[in-house]
Amino acid sequence: MEIIHLQYPAKQTLTQRAHIGVAGSGDLELLIEPSTDNQAYIQISTSANGFEDIWRAVFDRFFKIYSYAVKIEINDFGATPGVVNLRLTQAMEVLRDGQ
Amino acid sequence: MDNNTQPLNIATESFIELSGRERAQAVLDAGSFRELIGPFDRMTSPHLPLQGIVAQSDDGVIVGRGTIDGEPAVAIALEGAFQGGGIGEVCGAKISGALEQVLRDHEKGIKTRPVLLLETGGVRLQEGNYGLLAIAEIGAAIMALRPYTPVVSVISGMIGCYGGMSICAAGLSSHLIMTRQGRLQLNGSEVIEQEAGIQEMDASDRSRIWSMVGGEQRVAAGFADTLVNDDIHEINEAIHDVFRQGIREVTRTAQVDRYLALLAAVDANTLIVPSSIRESWKSGIVDQENLQSQLGAQQAQANDSVVEAPITRGRTWFEALSGQSASAQQGIASVLCADTELENQQVRYISVVPNPNARFVRARQGEIGLEEGWNIARSIREAIEADKDGEKRAIVAIVDVPSQAYGYREEVLGIHLSCGSAVDAYASARLAGHPVIALIVGNAISGAFLAHGMQANRLLALDDEKVTVQVMSKQSAARITRRSIEQLNEAATKVPGAAYDIRSFAKLGALDQLIEGIEADQPQDKDIERIQQYLIAAIAETRQGPRDLSVRLTSATAATGRASSIKVRQLLAEQWD
Repeated sequence: MEIIHLQYPAKQTLTQRAHIGVAGSGDLELLIEPSTDNQAYIQISTSANGFEDIWRAVFDRFFKIYSYAVKIEINDFGATPGVVNLRLTQAMEVLRDGQ
Repeated sequence: MDNNTQPLNIATESFIELSGRERAQAVLDAGSFRELIGPFDRMTSPHLPLQGIVAQSDDGVIVGRGTIDGEPAVAIALEGAFQGGGIGEVCGAKISGALEQVLRDHEKGIKTRPVLLLETGGVRLQEGNYGLLAIAEIGAAIMALRPYTPVVSVISGMIGCYGGMSICAAGLSSHLIMTRQGRLQLNGSEVIEQEAGIQEMDASDRSRIWSMVGGEQRVAAGFADTLVNDDIHEINEAIHDVFRQGIREVTRTAQVDRYLALLAAVDANTLIVPSSIRESWKSGIVDQENLQSQLGAQQAQANDSVVEAPITRGRTWFEALSGQSASAQQGIASVLCADTELENQQVRYISVVPNPNARFVRARQGEIGLEEGWNIARSIREAIEADKDGEKRAIVAIVDVPSQAYGYREEVLGIHLSCGSAVDAYASARLAGHPVIALIVGNAISGAFLAHGMQANRLLALDDEKVTVQVMSKQSAARITRRSIEQLNEAATKVPGAAYDIRSFAKLGALDQLIEGIEADQPQDKDIERIQQYLIAAIAETRQGPRDLSVRLTSATAATGRASSIKVRQLLAEQWD
């Protein structure tokens, strides 16, 4: 298991929080909630070691599109980048529906 | 229901495809779901990350408050995708703690309806004894609740319900609803293959496994009550029906005579075709011709080839404490039972010992098999009945059990229910006011310990290196969790619940006494006297104390040893109303 921390500057604020997915085989669980400053904080606990570069690439891209000040916590059981993107998109949809 | 005659229903909505959280929502009235200890409470397993395993924010159990048919309810769902729905400390405490809250509601006159959505492989092996303790507490809570309300379980699949949860959750529930996809089985097929060999069970033979333990067979043979299609509406209709009908007088695990008679008529030497038992096991009508021929064959075998039983600690301590010879006992040779006076009060000692001549070959080395569970239940129920209007005698379980029996016949004939009947009987005795004490003198493993010992008011153990408490042999645990024996040993140094030795178990706070300096294999008079003094003290305390298992969580050791179990209960109490 490996724990990865990432951080991005952010402009927009959120008021909602969302919970998506299950830390099951090939999948992940994602918790997203507002952060208190103009930063986005990401913590990833993953069962697959050695993929920090890929996680960074996924979130670099995500925060080019969304600039939300959020705390994201991920419990990953070997999700592929495609599944990670899918779960992130789902989480944003839940947040948008709730806003 | 016959699929061919069923009208085509395009409104069918799959229950199996739902996540645990969606299942809890689906069985509660629309819009009434409110989650307790949800993901953002971050009540995660403290034990998994220590073993390099990613935790989940709800630890795999969703507790939803809401209403069912307009009445207050709680739906407890297991998330099978996380760790196979395995029961660890936190998620186990969410289940038992929620059921304990339901009990408090009923004691106050609030008729909260409990529904369990079971999807579990049994104890989460990485958390071992934390899970075992939690499952015993789940069983205790269901037993305490049943006089107040039906406790409904649903096994929808695809994982099914296994291990200790087949005994204490599915087995003890007052009503069990299954789909064809659901499975109800004590020992997983891989474990049976590991323990008994591929001739006994081929874990890759899926169709055979479903024909043994799938929902259709389980309902047809009377091990479950209602067969439903994988449809949310049908499942809800079945749940509503149970609550409309109210409490059942007779539960499955209390029907000792019925199941012992059915077992007696079985030919234990043949490969039993599951479908062949359906009619008689569902109706409870024993085929007299089969029974007579079986009894005759058993008599002939008994006269013919008698292998002498080995001397084990279970037998040694039974004879030492009861003052009676094991060979003079009535009934089956593997369940010893005798009454003796201890300081002017009656004590019934029960011990399970190897019977090399047992009918079921997989239960010849002291395991709790089909006959053992039901016979323990019979011995206890006899005492409850006899003491109904008088002084409740103490019941002492002498624990030296290597495991439950792993075998094909065992699963077909419902070993989970046999173990469940013993759990039911011990819990019933405790709730009726009998002091129930478990004295662990040897192995206390898995379903066997759940059935024989874990429902006791007090747990006493000898401080001895051959005294062990765990959920599975190391070989099987390694296979199932895909780790090496070395990795398991390493994990046990960090997580006391994953260790096998009694001193690690003592750190969890459930043990009342860890008794040092006893000659465990050949007890001398002074050893026996010391144990008797411990028993007298435990019996006296129990007569004054609570009838539930709460002492296991109020001990000073439990405050640190099972901090998460206590914390979960506090949170549930805060968030309940």
